Amino acid sequence: MAKLKIEDLKKIKERVQSENALRDGDRRVRVTVHMGTCGIAAGAREVLSTLMKEIEESNASDVVVTTSGCMGLCSREPEITVEILGEEPIIYENVDPNKMRQIFRRHILQGEIQTPFVLARGKEQV
Amino acid sequence: MKVFRSHILVCGGTGCHATGSIEVKQALAVELAKHKLTDEIRVVETGCNGFCALGPIMVVYPEGIMYVEVKKDDIPELVEEHFLKGRPVERLFYREADTEKPIPAIKEIPFFSHQKLWVLRNKGLIDPEVIEEYIARDGYAGLAKALAEMTPEQIIQEMLDSGLRGRGGAGFPTGLKWKFASQSKSDVKYVLCNADEGDPGAFMDRSILEADPHAVLEGMTIAAKAIGSNKGYIYCRAEYPLALRRLDIAISQAKEYGLLGENILDTGFDFDIEIYQGAGAFVCGEETALMTSIEGKRGMPRPRPPFPAVAGLWKKPSILNNVETFANVGQVINKGSEWFSSVGTEKSKGTKVFALTGDVNNVGLVEVPMGTPLGTIVYDIGGGISGGKKFKAAQLGGPSGGMIPVQHLNAPVDFETVAQLGAIMGSGGMIVMNEDMCPVDMARFFMDFCQDESCGKCVPCREGTKRMLEILTDICEGRGREGDIELLEEMASIIKDSALCGLGQTAPNPVLSTIRYFRDEYEAHIKEKRCPAGVCSALFKSPCQNACPVGMDVPSYLALVKAGRLDDAYKILLRTNPFPGVCGRVCDHQCQSKCRRATSDEAIAIKFVKRFITDNGLKPAIQAVPVTRKEKIAVVGAGPAGLTAARDLAMRGYKVTVYEELPEPGGMMRYGIPPYRLPRNVLEGEINDIKALGVDIVCNTRVGRDISFGEINESYDYIYLAPGAHKSMPLGIEGESSKGVFGGVEFLRDFNLNEGDWIGGNKTLGSRVAVIGGGNSAIDAARVAVRLGAEVTILYRRAREDMPAAEEEIIAAEQEGVKIEYFVAPLSIGTEEGKVRAITCQRMKPGDFDSSGRRRPVPIEGSEFTLSVDSVISAIGQKPDVTFVPEETGISINRWACFDLAEGRKSETTNPKFYAGGDAVTGPWTVIGAIKAGHDAAGEIDDSIRAENGEPPWSPPEEEAIDIPFEIDEELEEQPQEKMPELDPAQRIVGFAEVELGYSIEQAIKEATRCLRCDAEI
Amino acid sequence: MKSNYDMLLEEFTEEQIRELDRIIQSCKGRPGALIPVLERAQELLGYIPAPVQRRIGEGLNIPLSQVYGVVTFYSLFTMKPRGRHTIRVCLGTACYVRGGKKINETVKHMFNIEEGETTEDRRFTYESVRCLGACGLGPVMVVDGNVHGRVKPDKLKSILDQYE
Repeated sequence: MAKLKIEDLKKIKERVQSENALRDGDRRVRVTVHMGTCGIAAGAREVLSTLMKEIEESNASDVVVTTSGCMGLCSREPEITVEILGEEPIIYENVDPNKMRQIFRRHILQGEIQTPFVLARGKEQV
Repeated sequence: MKVFRSHILVCGGTGCHATGSIEVKQALAVELAKHKLTDEIRVVETGCNGFCALGPIMVVYPEGIMYVEVKKDDIPELVEEHFLKGRPVERLFYREADTEKPIPAIKEIPFFSHQKLWVLRNKGLIDPEVIEEYIARDGYAGLAKALAEMTPEQIIQEMLDSGLRGRGGAGFPTGLKWKFASQSKSDVKYVLCNADEGDPGAFMDRSILEADPHAVLEGMTIAAKAIGSNKGYIYCRAEYPLALRRLDIAISQAKEYGLLGENILDTGFDFDIEIYQGAGAFVCGEETALMTSIEGKRGMPRPRPPFPAVAGLWKKPSILNNVETFANVGQVINKGSEWFSSVGTEKSKGTKVFALTGDVNNVGLVEVPMGTPLGTIVYDIGGGISGGKKFKAAQLGGPSGGMIPVQHLNAPVDFETVAQLGAIMGSGGMIVMNEDMCPVDMARFFMDFCQDESCGKCVPCREGTKRMLEILTDICEGRGREGDIELLEEMASIIKDSALCGLGQTAPNPVLSTIRYFRDEYEAHIKEKRCPAGVCSALFKSPCQNACPVGMDVPSYLALVKAGRLDDAYKILLRTNPFPGVCGRVCDHQCQSKCRRATSDEAIAIKFVKRFITDNGLKPAIQAVPVTRKEKIAVVGAGPAGLTAARDLAMRGYKVTVYEELPEPGGMMRYGIPPYRLPRNVLEGEINDIKALGVDIVCNTRVGRDISFGEINESYDYIYLAPGAHKSMPLGIEGESSKGVFGGVEFLRDFNLNEGDWIGGNKTLGSRVAVIGGGNSAIDAARVAVRLGAEVTILYRRAREDMPAAEEEIIAAEQEGVKIEYFVAPLSIGTEEGKVRAITCQRMKPGDFDSSGRRRPVPIEGSEFTLSVDSVISAIGQKPDVTFVPEETGISINRWACFDLAEGRKSETTNPKFYAGGDAVTGPWTVIGAIKAGHDAAGEIDDSIRAENGEPPWSPPEEEAIDIPFEIDEELEEQPQEKMPELDPAQRIVGFAEVELGYSIEQAIKEATRCLRCDAEI
Repeated sequence: MKSNYDMLLEEFTEEQIRELDRIIQSCKGRPGALIPVLERAQELLGYIPAPVQRRIGEGLNIPLSQVYGVVTFYSLFTMKPRGRHTIRVCLGTACYVRGGKKINETVKHMFNIEEGETTEDRRFTYESVRCLGACGLGPVMVVDGNVHGRVKPDKLKSILDQYE
């Protein structure tokens, strides 16, 4: 590879830092994909892959994705929870890849809650 | 960019490799592929995470959950649960050593949360084999700044301003070292990195090299620019293959990226680094020896001057810094000297990395600000001493350093303080040692090391260390002589002054330091041929016997129980202990704390087996010993000390009379310990045997009241004073003299004197009782109060682990419904018409450390609260009542109201006619301690008499030969102690029946069979 | 009297000797070459007896006395053949206080050997070492590079049974 110049150091830093950002402290947005057996059966895996692809394409380094178990409301799976720092969590129901893309672009990046898909607001209200 | 939703950072340090992290990583790859998670979850192998004792370790981000001791078989479950279903696996969480509380988040684990990671900022966070991960965390930013924006003078000034001192041990200012080298004129100069980390117990440099090798390369390159060098060497020991490999990779990546080699970062600066593999010689850590070694010769030091800054490697100007020093440099330059010097103490700036090892719960790599108290490192980060043992000392600086003992736990760890305490900072090995450490053996160990590693060039080191080792070995093996300590001190000072290099000059440090703090243990080895810590095995048969104050022959009686020969076992017991039945019930069993079986599973229940023998064996018949000596001896106090002395003296043919104030003999065994722990008939039986020898016991007779001191003085030739410690210490608070406030021992005595009145209700504590204190008397008082029907709360001002009471007693009290409040101290006692109504208390919190290594309780302002109670029992300690001894006797009494002993004597007072022992000399202690005092007194009295008469010393009559069977099982099966059958708590509290029921024969034999026979000669 | 080459042949193959010569040649003339050459020679041959030292000395143009001096100075080098397996018990301070001393005694007693010796059947060479830097696992025993941590005396036999 070509030898680095001083400005190259900065570029490497920025690129790799965003890849490794999730090893640092709190992020702006946390998306939880509920991956119980029922969720997976209903297509949670595809939702998760879509989300990952969106993050990658948009270079959004402030979004972390976690998975969790079944929420107990199997008929509405796949479900995801979007928590934006300082706002109340929003739970979406019956998510599919298309809805996921919409939620990502509109809600996570631009802050508009996608009301038609919302199952509940707040963490424990299901 | 490639985004993963999760990163799994698997520790790939040497420690975790050894416990199987490579297999874990492979299993992870397989399992993630199986679930098609490879694109979502990235596995990264990092350098040493630092928490080596719990390896293999992995940390999962973004959650920051740490899993410990992960085995490859755990991986399928882990992937399925955590990565697929999002349910973290609790059984693999870190658990706090004492509470077993699981803590999932790495940030919250005390081991990590008290640290300040500067040098280790990347440990466990980056893949050390990927240069870009280092760059992403500001790596090489300092280098860029140094090369593009700074002159060599500015770099050196920044280093000087930062106050960074060499982390290799001596603490020489790094900037100054560089300045000297930069001022030397030469076309060739060298930058050398010392990675020959040879101190046993130190692995800081290894971890840094494994976790963050680029930090070292960056620091070296900055140094090169500062002094004008184009060539560097890293001298790394061959014992660190992984560090060598990671360095190798790092160097080639740095070259590839233009961060090493020619025209670095396009600034026109050239610098190259070569690794030089050490071949295993400790002395090569010394700077001139290291240079000689790189030159391909025997690594011997050379005299200075010339200093390396003038003529170092190949006679060219050179600087040598260690790994940790270089790892600091990049950040000092990048963030500035002010940032660096904001942390630390006046003369020691920044942080220090320690390899915390030895007897602490959390072994691993620790980085703290300079000046952090030793206690914080040992207790808050290290999690305290493992196995419930006591802290004895921390060893710093390895073979060149010394010990910091328990009384200095508050000492800030920085260069100056550590040196004042007789240790050195060293490169950062901190070995924590518990009560089982023998300082003489430790000094011998380090001297053996230095002697072995001495290069032989200069005489003081070559011959001096050898001679010192011989003396230390002699002391450890029982051949120590008077004057050895002084000889060691003299040799130490000569070697320090005259050896050529640091190895020799510092070699005597461990000896001097151990003599400074543990001189008494040296003396015990030399004068008594005894190793108090139970390490120097040439001095004893078995560690249990060595730990017993009276040296009971534990392995023999255990072997006899195993063979079913209880009667013989009983005879063995009585050879050293007149109260085996008592001790089988109430002894503090120091023997068990040294039992080697505990290293496999659990100590032998020696006390319980002893009790089994006395319950079931045939007690040998006692015959009166005829009086053959003309000297008459009086004993004051019929407790364990007095009765033991009386028995021993009677057996030697003396007429002994014991005076006792209370109606029955036994002292604290009768009036302190309640009958549910020690049934009266057991004690009575053993005292009757002493009477049967011909000892007269005169009860209800207080010397100074019922019989005058003068009369005793006139009627007897020698007098042994063993009145015990029967007076409670005052609380010193308001309301203490009101009705319903009892001293702990006074209450127990009253109860044991007037059991009928208390049980019948003529005397009462009322329904709610507060007991103050944490010793055995407090627990005894509380358990008696429960049996009298009261609701009992113990108030103790420190933490549970600080309670002096026996653990099994505390548990028993809790089972019986005693409530214990920790960190509470009484402030005042509220009264109504002169009678106790309430007690007002204050909550406490742990503060700094006292000289016993316990945390001092500090009041919490505004935390006062009041309990309504009917009685308060104050059991915060006892002292003797020695007012019966007239001043004109010349018997000296100290400020603790105890008898002083004559210089160098075990029981003779300052008046040679009077001897003293037991609690009245030591302050409140144990039954077995008092028995030991009684033996010592009888021996000294008899020796004095015979010496005065010009007779030869007493020789004990021939003992009946008892053949001790000897069978050892080759293979050891793990098997814990036999449980002692006990009364159910509900049955216990309705009366005073004995709680412990005793082993069955099967249990006793099984327990005795667990003995490892450490007494065996192999 | 036998030539040095004949003495070498008693212990090593011609192929090994050629390889040794290659190592020597590749470093010839470099300052400070002796120790790296010895390290590679020992890796190749397992040990460095006198004939090997002589050949290295001649090859690098260094007096035999200096080669011998260096070989005996550094603990990494050995002049004796070794066992099939090497047992190394760590006697660094951390291991020592955690029971390394007892492990050391037990191994010696089990095979009736002293430190630095090899059993008669050449199964084990026994060494004690100063701190392997794995103090978290003490007491540590390394057999052929496999680290066994928290070793207890009664577990020794079953560990060593794995190495025939």
